[in-house]
Amino acid sequence: MVQLVVRRLLAAVAIIVFLTLALFGLEHLSHTSPVHSYLGAGASAAAVAAETHKLGLDRPIVDQYFHYLNDLLHGNLGVSYRTRRPVTTDIGQFLPATAELAIYAMGLALVLAVVLGIAGAARWRGAGIFRFVMLAGSSTPPFLLALLGILFFSGKLGWLPATGRTGILNAPTGPTGLLTLDGLIHGRISVTLDALRHLILPATCIAFIPAVSVGRILRSSLDETLQRDHVRTARVKGLSEWAILVRHALRNSLGPALSMTGLQAGLMFAGVVVIEEIFAWPGIGNYVAQGIPQGDFPAIAGVTLILSIAYVAINAAVDIAQAIADPRIKL
Amino acid sequence: MAVAEPAVRALPSPRWRPTPPVASLRRLMARSRRADLVAASLFVVATAIALLGPLVAPHNPLAAGPYENVPPFHGSNLLGTDAIGRDVLSRVLYGIRTSWFSALAVIASGVVIGGAVGLAAGAAGGWVDGLLMRTTDAFLALPGPIIAICVVAALGPSLRNTLIAVGIVWWPFYARIVRGEITALSARPHLEAAKLAGVGPVRRALRHLLPGAVPAIVVTASLDVANLLVTLAGLSFLGLGSPEPAPELGAMAAQNLQYLLSDWWEPVMPALAIFLLAMAANLGGDGIRNLLRRS
Repeated sequence: MVQLVVRRLLAAVAIIVFLTLALFGLEHLSHTSPVHSYLGAGASAAAVAAETHKLGLDRPIVDQYFHYLNDLLHGNLGVSYRTRRPVTTDIGQFLPATAELAIYAMGLALVLAVVLGIAGAARWRGAGIFRFVMLAGSSTPPFLLALLGILFFSGKLGWLPATGRTGILNAPTGPTGLLTLDGLIHGRISVTLDALRHLILPATCIAFIPAVSVGRILRSSLDETLQRDHVRTARVKGLSEWAILVRHALRNSLGPALSMTGLQAGLMFAGVVVIEEIFAWPGIGNYVAQGIPQGDFPAIAGVTLILSIAYVAINAAVDIAQAIADPRIKL
Repeated sequence: MAVAEPAVRALPSPRWRPTPPVASLRRLMARSRRADLVAASLFVVATAIALLGPLVAPHNPLAAGPYENVPPFHGSNLLGTDAIGRDVLSRVLYGIRTSWFSALAVIASGVVIGGAVGLAAGAAGGWVDGLLMRTTDAFLALPGPIIAICVVAALGPSLRNTLIAVGIVWWPFYARIVRGEITALSARPHLEAAKLAGVGPVRRALRHLLPGAVPAIVVTASLDVANLLVTLAGLSFLGLGSPEPAPELGAMAAQNLQYLLSDWWEPVMPALAIFLLAMAANLGGDGIRNLLRRS
């Protein structure tokens, strides 16, 4: 078991090293030169030479790569072309908003996935409808959901806000950075409720596609489990269909759905970027979206690195958890 | 005493060829459910719309008309006009062409690159297999869409660069599937027979292994079109596509976002078009999978 965990962790580290090589290569391919981005187009030749030397761009490429790795290990991701601040500072500022959104979206996605999976697999009249919802769901771009959600719940009905994280001006900024938690910590329940109201629309839009993908996997895995002998025995015993599904089939069917959840986290990040832009959510997704038109490569590369590390870590954790839960699995 | 016939059937000769496509298609038609055929034909319908749509577009998608913000079903603009009077229907029809063929182009590149890598890995085995598959795993272990955004940011935003970037993160998926099929096929007796008959490794890979992997590739690719349509639309929404005023569905939705609450059709219609296109691709993919599974 220990050997298995160590092997999985080593693989994760190797993948991150591979990613740093790729990002370093991309930076050199990049169509924007960092020197001119920092100094402006009209900089003198002497200033360009000085800045090139300062950034270390006149050194051998292998040397530059190790310099870059060293910077990364010390938490230095470069300076954003757009905000002119260190990317690490920017990410530190915007990460809590994204973390809060992603946590609620993932939680919602899991609940929805279990509901869709069970409703689609159960023997009842509505199963066909749920199967269709899942098919339609996997064809829906997140921004369509966002547009329709804003149009109805914000525009027509006026129930939910369409921009930002909070409507309260002096909302607490610490200690966790998650408004729903900070509100509780400071004893201001109105902050928590307001943050939840702001979370509903964006979190639902982000959650929908992963919910549908995980729900589809869960449904087909439930379908398979329901063909097994122990389920037939349970039916013969006269248990209700509901009890069979929840007590005898669901746990055996969760494995594939769990792997899919890990994989969907990666696709979810792309949804986060789009949704944060639409809802003016002050997170790292919006930071990336704002950086795209300006060619802010250090910012985008920094966010890519952070999100990839999170993604690799989540999937390693899912794999290890599954290997512990099910001894038949070998990594 | 009669000697029992040996229970060994003649091995297929190296001259054996796969059934010609037309005959297998006819057999398919005879056996399959009609619903699956109708579903599968949605691919043809979507391709036809993508090809012919711009030809029947009532207006020039780039030309500003005399009336701005006309709602749908008013006058000659079936889906209304946008903030500078351009016909939404015409822009959507052109956008469908870009979206559909972009998705197919990325699928094609995924099939070719991933197929080549998977075939080489599965057929060669040994260290070649190890090297190619570890590289594939490294790609698969990273969050594709974010990496694609990063690649386009480095290359500079344009439709061509977006397709290159998505192509870079999309092929490993196909490499895995093809390699799995090829390894399973390699253990079959016809491969041993071919080897004994002195067929060289390249010919073995291309003539004896590759055809067996084709159904799996076709099913995977057809079920993947919708994913790509949605992913590419998301990137286009973020401005990673052709620059304005090119009619691209994702970009149209993004640019008209500000008019959502006053003139909803301007951002919603292009987004709906993506949804319908992806829905057709999903239904078509399901149909193709059912047809191939049954045969």
